[in-house]
Amino acid sequence: MSAPSNLAARVADRLRGLAGPWDVFAEHSRRFEIHLSGTRVELTRGPLDLEGFGLRLLRAVEGQTGVGFQASTDFSERGVRTAVEEAETFARFNQFPAKHPELPGGRPSTGDGAKIVDPALWSDPAGALERYGAALLAAFEGRNGVVPSFSSIKATLTEASVANSTGLTYAYAHTAVETEVAVKAFGGPEGRPPGEYWFSDLGRRLDPGPLPTLAADWARFAEDARRAKSPPNGEVPVVLPPDVLAGIVPAVVRFQFGASARLRGLGVVSESQVGAEGLDVFDDGLLDWGVGSSPVDDEGTPQRKRKLISNGRASQLLYDVLHADALGAASSGNGVRTSGFDPGANLWLKFTRRPAPEASTIVIPPGNGGTDAEIVEQVDDGVWVQQIAWAQPDEMGGRFGGEIRIGYRIRHGKLAEPVRGGTVGGGVVTREGTPSLLHDLSVIGSRPKLMGSLSSPTLLVRNLSVSGDDHAPAPP
Amino acid sequence: MAQRVRGENMNLDSKSLSTSATTPWLGVAFRAWSGTRWVETAVSGLDGRALAVAAEALESQLATGRTGGPPPGPAATTVGSFDTAPPRPMRDLGTEGTLARVRELFRWATDDPMIKFVRVGLSWNEEERHYLNTAGANCYQRFDRVRVGVIPVAIENGRSEYDVLQVGSLGGQELLDSLTETRVHQATAMAKALLKSRAPPSGLMNVLLDPGTTGTFAHESFGHGAEADQFVRNRSYLQPLLGKTIAPEFLTLVDDGSIPGAWGSIHFDDEGHPSQRTLLVDHGRFVGALHDRGTAFALGASPTGNTRRSDFLGQAFVRMTNTLIEPGDWNLEELVRETRDGVLLERWESGMEDPLGGQMQLKVRRGHRIENGQLTDLVSAMVLSGGVLQFLRDIRGIAKDENPEIAAGYCGKGYGDLLPVGDGGAYLLSRALVGPS
Repeated sequence: MSAPSNLAARVADRLRGLAGPWDVFAEHSRRFEIHLSGTRVELTRGPLDLEGFGLRLLRAVEGQTGVGFQASTDFSERGVRTAVEEAETFARFNQFPAKHPELPGGRPSTGDGAKIVDPALWSDPAGALERYGAALLAAFEGRNGVVPSFSSIKATLTEASVANSTGLTYAYAHTAVETEVAVKAFGGPEGRPPGEYWFSDLGRRLDPGPLPTLAADWARFAEDARRAKSPPNGEVPVVLPPDVLAGIVPAVVRFQFGASARLRGLGVVSESQVGAEGLDVFDDGLLDWGVGSSPVDDEGTPQRKRKLISNGRASQLLYDVLHADALGAASSGNGVRTSGFDPGANLWLKFTRRPAPEASTIVIPPGNGGTDAEIVEQVDDGVWVQQIAWAQPDEMGGRFGGEIRIGYRIRHGKLAEPVRGGTVGGGVVTREGTPSLLHDLSVIGSRPKLMGSLSSPTLLVRNLSVSGDDHAPAPP
Repeated sequence: MAQRVRGENMNLDSKSLSTSATTPWLGVAFRAWSGTRWVETAVSGLDGRALAVAAEALESQLATGRTGGPPPGPAATTVGSFDTAPPRPMRDLGTEGTLARVRELFRWATDDPMIKFVRVGLSWNEEERHYLNTAGANCYQRFDRVRVGVIPVAIENGRSEYDVLQVGSLGGQELLDSLTETRVHQATAMAKALLKSRAPPSGLMNVLLDPGTTGTFAHESFGHGAEADQFVRNRSYLQPLLGKTIAPEFLTLVDDGSIPGAWGSIHFDDEGHPSQRTLLVDHGRFVGALHDRGTAFALGASPTGNTRRSDFLGQAFVRMTNTLIEPGDWNLEELVRETRDGVLLERWESGMEDPLGGQMQLKVRRGHRIENGQLTDLVSAMVLSGGVLQFLRDIRGIAKDENPEIAAGYCGKGYGDLLPVGDGGAYLLSRALVGPS
């Protein structure tokens, strides 16, 4: 693999003489996609080729900082000049309570960095996608009454670079993979409705190795959806595997521990008890294959690992350059150009957005709760939630809630009948003294798994609110 | 399909002001039929050399795969141009003028000491799309979209609650005129009231949806199941029910991309077919689905003008435009009385589709208990769940259209490809599971 192109340096060359502070973040992305309808290739896409840069100027405005920002796909002399003019114009309107923000300088000391490039994907993206599609279909061969009804795999290969007025310049490559597979179970007695398990994940690798195991799990969930009943109604112990936690914990933690929330009087209170005693939670920007991992953040500050919750108490915050200055701290390497809305869009198109404090990969270290089966053994009557439709947490209020797409009743320490429909919800990080997912943890499993922007083992929560009607017939 | 977007974004909160021009989005998507499947490439910019590279990349894929038949379904031959700017485009207001309106909204929202934090967001853009194909279609269209949101946050004893005032439409400055001081104060008052709200009830109960939540139901719970690409994949719970009665006679549900000024409206879709009003449920009978040319061919139907790309980087596939449940003949008081005991769900936040399973998730910011046929306590955020077909069967009444408004939202199909869609409806009474969120 050759050295990644440094488009930011190319723009910086055209900015000689421009008063600082300023920085440029640039990307060259190539995206490839394969979409399957059943076992047929329905659509292939790529290369979708995109080059762009985002220019940020920091200007003193009435004792504060006016941030001028302009993104562009035009790298010509004229294109860069236009971006500068637009950014200067808007900087005059803008205000942020930083007095002397300092951009990182020199060549960042990044060590070995994390693994964030899938070499096979990088060298032959279209071929890798085709092979993955074939492996996916092969994983379902011979399964009676179970097929993938729809699959889409999207791979993005990006050369990212950052340069600024202090002379910093840095470029690196990364890969991102978005996977979506809908598995359908059908057949059997006449009139029995089909069932589906709809899987999605965001990662950095296209690894067909685990597909046979995954396909077996997905097929089981789809089959079980056909005979699932409504869950019970009430406050019950709930087991949440990483597959579900990935849709809940990162969204709340990144907001609650972001310096943006602190500056605005929102988010966690320093040193407050937000989690169970003994619980540590980290943000790790150097985790191998983490979707938020990179040698430097999107402002050029080296990434690292930060402890957000220490023994259950709120500890460090996530800072970018501007918020660090406003709050009298140093950047923690969390200046990220995130969309905040579309997770898949967070790994490319970054040049269209300005940096803000954002988490990398949230890590809940393994505990001593054992395997999933051993966790279940500790529950007399409860629910295992395998999938929530869309947890969509309320970041500010620190709560979540969603429909159970597939789960299992736990009876006397064993997984019992499947459940589906109904809702599960509660606090994630709430104010001191109120129940929440992280505060009311009774067991932390021993086997962590990386899912999206979370690395966590399975967790058992003492009580969460489940709504259901377990006297009702199975949903149609 | 070539696309260009220009506009401005503004965000003002209690600590910072951030304005900028949007990224001048400019790019082209190419699509060709390989004989067995569609292949696509795309490139940013309109530089001749980059376009040639993208076209060559497309041709190289065709060279290895062109063994099957012609592309499925009817190719559009539409020729048309819609280049009309709104009477008062946002561009004419200028950055300072727009900022003045944002500051005014902010001032209205912060004149209550209980409101500890406010965020006002405004974005507008002018978008051009030009579609050409080898059958002769040549469709140019321009959209001007404006969207404004005000979020007041009340905080007390560590509890924070917010309400959302959000509007969006095709058009220009006239949308800002609809954001009055009274409406902003209603949002701040609600944020404060939510601090005292109780947890919602939990379990199976009568549910009364407000108009925005009804619209979200129409879109998320029903509309996604009526996208015919899911029929072709045998992935829709609705497919076997086409032509059958699935709801009470008083329920009619449509997708209509031709409503003037509505957030999700378009003149042509991204295959060159004109937008239209498509009946999905006609007086309780499921009568139609949403099609692109491929699904129309596979299922013996006609394209419905619903093929959309999120942008030049997104794929063209079947999407909704404005999805609406038509009004009924009840008034709100009658529906509350009819509910007797249950909950009113207000201020929609999101929904999630389940195309094959036919389940539904709707989330709302707040609501009220209904006890003995009366609206009582304010309750905090809720999530609703249930089977769509059972929910349809349980509908007992729909209100008159007393305050029609098409809500402005963004829809992702699966896990991406966000694009603007409108939802609408009236108060609707049915039965479902509810829990806290």
